Amino acid sequence: MVHADPISQFDIVGISGPLFRVGGAPVAFTNSALLMAIIVGLIVAFMLVATRGSMVPGRLQSAAELFYEFTAQTVRESAGNEGMRFFPFVFTVFIFVLCSNVLGIIPGSFTVTGQIVITAALAGFIILMVVFYGFYKHGLGWLRLFVPPDVPGWLLPMLVFVEVVSFWTRPISLSVRLFANMLGGHMAMSIFAYFVAALLFGGVWAVISPFPLLLVVALVALELLVAVLQAYVFAILTALYLNDALHPHH
Amino acid sequence: MAPEDEPSPSGSAGPGSPDPDFDRRLAAFRTQIERAERGEKQAGGSRGERASPASLVGALRLSSEFIAGILGGAGLGWLCDHFLGTSPWGLIVLLLLGFVAGVYNVMRDSGFLDAGGSPPAG
Repeated sequence: MVHADPISQFDIVGISGPLFRVGGAPVAFTNSALLMAIIVGLIVAFMLVATRGSMVPGRLQSAAELFYEFTAQTVRESAGNEGMRFFPFVFTVFIFVLCSNVLGIIPGSFTVTGQIVITAALAGFIILMVVFYGFYKHGLGWLRLFVPPDVPGWLLPMLVFVEVVSFWTRPISLSVRLFANMLGGHMAMSIFAYFVAALLFGGVWAVISPFPLLLVVALVALELLVAVLQAYVFAILTALYLNDALHPHH
Repeated sequence: MAPEDEPSPSGSAGPGSPDPDFDRRLAAFRTQIERAERGEKQAGGSRGERASPASLVGALRLSSEFIAGILGGAGLGWLCDHFLGTSPWGLIVLLLLGFVAGVYNVMRDSGFLDAGGSPPAG
């Protein structure tokens, strides 16, 4: 797959024809859906194989236990022991984002988390869950979340409004951060990879074509770091926001 | 980091340890572990404490929280204008409030608000 421009790698392409229509818009099985199916399949296969539970863990089981311990520690630190009821959810989100970030690095693959609609759907779901669970658990008392303590009375209405706006920006920052990191990183890789080809077929310039190639290699390493870190950031922020649903006190 | 090797103060000998050599070996092993942990800490150096993933998360969060504040405020203002017909005041006011919320986000995430306890004005 050769990308003439850095953005075409994010194009959604239908693999099948339109399967059915929702409100006049055709719904097809796309490359994005294919990658998501592969990701879910990989995760399920990994977990099924890795958690067959022998007393002496093999390599796969050790890896699965590492994931478990790491996520459990993150959730406990961010949301306390009560937060562990959300552990399955946070773990699912973490491993899905991690897999889609890492699989997206493979050349010719597709980055699911480079689509704002995916990350926005994830973030929107998380925030709606926080809001609904907050009201379910604390009733209207959950709104104390928006009232910061130790604030002089004349400043309070303004600060409550700022808190509400600040809460509203959470899903935006959560989704845009992941989406922008993936989009930007992959575009940079694609641009420098294009330099390699352009220089190679540019006559004398072919001499310096290895330099952008080296840069691409370095960028792949950087992207791997970013992919893992962003998945971690996503998971830890999910846990932190869920903590606000559990404990609305400041 | 995980304190798994905590020596239990009382139960080291176990129920009637018959082997006096056992205690000696245990003590030797403990000093060995201590030395290894100390060495690990020194190898990590000054960098070891600061490079925890949590602080890295903080660094990655700050800029995006600020940008999200402005974007969120502008978006909310536009929605307000669009549905309530308050153009252009919704956008102006909420963009500024979004800016405030962005700064507030950054202050909170960097621990600025927790550090001083109550704000100086109050």
